[in-house]
Amino acid sequence: MALIRGRDRKGAAQIFTASMADIVFLLLVFFILTYKVEVDRTKMDLPDTWVRSKVPEKAAVISIAPPDDITAPLVVRVSTGEEMSLPVSTNEEVVTFASTEVARNPNKEFIVKADEQVPYEYVDAVLDALKQSKVKNIYLLSEQKTVDR
Amino acid sequence: MRIKKKEIQSEIFTGSMADISFLLIIYFMITSAFSADRGLDFALPEDTDTPEIKQEDSIDVHVLRGGAIEVDAKGLPLEGLLPYVLEKLKQKPDKPVILRTDPDATYGDMIRVFDTLRSARDEWTDVDGRPLHMDARGKPLTEIQTISIPTRREIENLWSMLGIQ
Repeated sequence: MALIRGRDRKGAAQIFTASMADIVFLLLVFFILTYKVEVDRTKMDLPDTWVRSKVPEKAAVISIAPPDDITAPLVVRVSTGEEMSLPVSTNEEVVTFASTEVARNPNKEFIVKADEQVPYEYVDAVLDALKQSKVKNIYLLSEQKTVDR
Repeated sequence: MRIKKKEIQSEIFTGSMADISFLLIIYFMITSAFSADRGLDFALPEDTDTPEIKQEDSIDVHVLRGGAIEVDAKGLPLEGLLPYVLEKLKQKPDKPVILRTDPDATYGDMIRVFDTLRSARDEWTDVDGRPLHMDARGKPLTEIQTISIPTRREIENLWSMLGIQ
């Protein structure tokens, strides 16, 4: 009888979970604060630079990525900075897009997000389109250069 | 006989709070992206017309295919670019640098040279931001005042204006 009582008194092994909710809330607050919608999710290798300045939020994005297939043309996508990026097929479309954005906001900033292996003539065409649209400020997106790279 | 009233304790049910938090945290973890949010900035001239820059008044940096550079039509290693520009700017501090890139060169090649030119401020000042070099008039020389990146159309326009084919 005593043996049974003694067995009853023994607590089962448990993982202490009382602080779990606190940890989860802490993580939740972190993710909510750092949450940022990425308007262009094109995967690419950005060039590395020493000099880097902060890109303004809600700046329009023009991305130039090499295609998966070498024979296919480059993939150019545009985004207003508030909506997800859409592909464009001609330079005229880039000019139209940039002109519309500049007409809406003359000080609108533009981000050029291009893969480092993209031939410069395509970037030149985009820069030309932005100049034609009277864009004032451009940011060339880059990664931080380190001594090893 | 006195009937004892049953006391009902009102409380918010928090048992499912942890589940909701987990659901939200999974959502934020999946959708949040630590994207690159920095880059090289440059301001474009207000007027889209070709700026009136005489070739002899500027430093011409030409990025060739493969990443090699020519400065004022002479081959130069990238490490030699800033010292060359510094010597030129000592004579005329407002001399603009024109960065031209071969269409067959890669964007990475152009960015490497542009970054080198932009890093002049770090190279020409000490850790406290004090200038390390002076121009011919004794004024501090801390950065390249104008870096111009003309597009191919602008270069062709300039050449046609000068009558060069």
